[in-house]
Amino acid sequence: MSALASVQRARQNVLMTSLPGSHGVGQKRLNSSKWRWVPPEWNKDPNKELKKKLKDSQLKGGSSPSLQAVPVGDGQGSNRPKVPPRFHTLPPVQLKHPLFQSENRPDLHLAPFQPDLVKPISLNKALQFESGHRTLLTAYGVPRNILHEFRILSKPCSLVREVTLSTTKWLDGAATQPSSAKRAVITGQLGSGKSYLLLQAVEYARKKGYLVLYIPRSLRLVDSSSAYVYDPRTRTYLQPEFSAELLKRFRDVNLQAFEELLTSEDVIISGRRMIPKGTTLAELVRNGTRQEVDAPVVLSALVKELQLQSKYPVVLAIDDFQSLYSQSKYRDARFNTLKAYHLSLPRLLLEFASGRQKFQSGAVLGALTTANSEFRVPLELQEALGLTPDVPSGPYIRRKPELVEYAKGLQNIALPSQMSIAEAAALYELWGKEKVLNDAPTDQTFLRLYTESAGNPRDFVWKGVMGSFST
Amino acid sequence: MFNVLRKQASSRWWKLPAQPAVRHNSTAYVPPAAFQHVRRPPPPKEKPSSPTFYTSRASYYDQVISLEACISTAKQALKAENLYPLPDFARASIPPPQPFWKDQTSLMSLGSVKMTPSRYRRVISLLNQLDEYKRIAEVSGANELADNLTELLSEFENDNKAAILASSKRKPVQFDEYGRTYTSGKRKESSARVWVIPVQKPEESTDAAPKSEPLNLPASAPAISAFNHPQPVQVTPSNILINNIPLNKYFPIAKDRETVIRPLQLAGLFGAYNVFALVRGGGTTGQSGAIAVGLARGLAAHVPDVADILRKAKLLRRDPRMVERKKTNLRKARAAVSAIRTTLNLDADEIRRGPGSSGRIYYNIAFITQLIIILANCHENSLSPKAGPVPF
Repeated sequence: MSALASVQRARQNVLMTSLPGSHGVGQKRLNSSKWRWVPPEWNKDPNKELKKKLKDSQLKGGSSPSLQAVPVGDGQGSNRPKVPPRFHTLPPVQLKHPLFQSENRPDLHLAPFQPDLVKPISLNKALQFESGHRTLLTAYGVPRNILHEFRILSKPCSLVREVTLSTTKWLDGAATQPSSAKRAVITGQLGSGKSYLLLQAVEYARKKGYLVLYIPRSLRLVDSSSAYVYDPRTRTYLQPEFSAELLKRFRDVNLQAFEELLTSEDVIISGRRMIPKGTTLAELVRNGTRQEVDAPVVLSALVKELQLQSKYPVVLAIDDFQSLYSQSKYRDARFNTLKAYHLSLPRLLLEFASGRQKFQSGAVLGALTTANSEFRVPLELQEALGLTPDVPSGPYIRRKPELVEYAKGLQNIALPSQMSIAEAAALYELWGKEKVLNDAPTDQTFLRLYTESAGNPRDFVWKGVMGSFST
Repeated sequence: MFNVLRKQASSRWWKLPAQPAVRHNSTAYVPPAAFQHVRRPPPPKEKPSSPTFYTSRASYYDQVISLEACISTAKQALKAENLYPLPDFARASIPPPQPFWKDQTSLMSLGSVKMTPSRYRRVISLLNQLDEYKRIAEVSGANELADNLTELLSEFENDNKAAILASSKRKPVQFDEYGRTYTSGKRKESSARVWVIPVQKPEESTDAAPKSEPLNLPASAPAISAFNHPQPVQVTPSNILINNIPLNKYFPIAKDRETVIRPLQLAGLFGAYNVFALVRGGGTTGQSGAIAVGLARGLAAHVPDVADILRKAKLLRRDPRMVERKKTNLRKARAAVSAIRTTLNLDADEIRRGPGSSGRIYYNIAFITQLIIILANCHENSLSPKAGPVPF
């Protein structure tokens, strides 16, 4: 091939890959991790094949002897540049350095977060989330602020509040009702515990045996951090990378159910390949994620199968719920801003959130976020949830009819702005056991922190308990 | 004033010579008729009771003289007690003056003399001097002297003294029908209005959790049993709203929150009072300080016992520190313009290298003349065939 021809070929490739309407994969800005660092005991049941691959493909750069590199999924994937692995806390047992050897290491003995323990008897008590292989925390991850707290706490746990009991009671009804009748959004002020409540609800649902699809950071769906490609068939923009990751995690958390349920239709994927009907959903996911381009198709097929089955209730949990109703950061070929509903995955979530599509039994639970001011709660969603609008809301302000339609029928689970004294006391004790208190734990100190934070949970912990040095 | 009298005394125009001005050596008989043209001495005058008789403002000067006499008497009395002159350390312990003298028109009524400002000023200065002696006497325990001086000075004191003193004291904080106080505080450019409301104690609880049934213990069981758990105390929180916004939202910085909370913390009154404040002006530090002062004043009204603690912590006092003004020829209030050594007619290069080291070429006549000569020589040399190029 001549030099000119090779240059032309390269330029064509670049053009093809950069345009969103092309069949190639668009430019991506950030890569999701291919590898995950886990302590050995979490990796209790690894595949032998994976172990062999592990020996062959150890990442350079000083992997800690106490951690193993486990490839995500089945280890196959495109040639992506290596990224630093995701951080996981080491259990105290593995901290061998003398600096950590002190008699005062906190050792929290907490009951596990189980449906039979989420009762009034455990009100204002901390229950521990399960962390291990193929659990909710490791498979899906958690929102960033919760992650920061879990890094400091010796065990990932949360407090059972009144709202937890009421939300879990609400979720109990999901087993018998279609998801269109059980659609709610958790609202509240900054730092009032929305993400925590959603996490508790999701863990509760998972322990109850429901199928759980949890997206802890759905802002990542719309902030143009993953690849996107236009699909003329559905006339939406697909996000193959995100879809592939989501499929794998969905499968990891609900593996048992996925190995039970069978597809009822053939699924045609790229390269004229077909996944025949009667395959297990786990197999469907595995075949569908061999190549990322197939992921969106497989995801929609999977969701359809879950809609048809009635054995397992399906809970769809979305943190940063308002991202589905906002403008994305993606652009089309003419540099117009794409709305969230132009993207296939948010569109799918919106269909379920609005009740236009439903699971035979299940629920849709969302939580608003106040973290990112670029993605504020739009007026249509505020009005649907009955919130006091903080944007102009007069009769001359246009409400987008599509968003009004998608927001119809959403219930509001409103969190109180102030937590009760008993809840604050429980939090104070928990963090006291973690030895993060700077002051002597007296009633005076506790009340001072409570008054300064006005009962706001995040302020109480971050600015109060962990902040102040005064006595 | 007495000099006038003396002068007149020296002329003696009315004094009759004993005899006509005729020198004689013997006593001759002078008939009465010879005295007819001679003026008689005036009848002897009564001596005026006060030397101020001959002044134009007798009553005024009387007042002044009597006050000065009192001053000297008091001074002598204090000196006798070794109380005058006072050393500096003792002078500092005397209470400050609180003069409430009669005004100009009122003092005029004491004497029938027009009290001009200068006269008034003079009288007041004498009164102040006496007041100082009175205070020294009071503090040192010379009660008799102090009482006398008080009695004396009471004539000159304003009738409204008590009223003025009362008005200068801060009014006691009023409670409204719900037991709420309304106080204010200021700091820098901020002003705060603070309402302090007692927290309503919770009623006897109707708990959601069912109460445990009393155990049927035998009659011989002790009164305090291990199973009789004490009821948990109902803790009420203090809610603080500033401009209708919770404290944590209005003041995100910890320092400001702690400033606002400080009166409650020092008084140990967390959970006892709710606070509603409206604050305006200034920045975060000023606003938080203003709220603290208002809150402290409110708490001192509700619980007078804590007033001492708050006063010691300087929370009842308006912090007088304000932003100092900028002065002329200074960069800021205190910061001066940085000193630059002034040099005349030097440019930047010369300042760097030192005077006289400029890169400029100074032309002078001698130099130019030499240059011309050299050039002329070169030209001559160049005309001769033997000369080569001249480096120049």
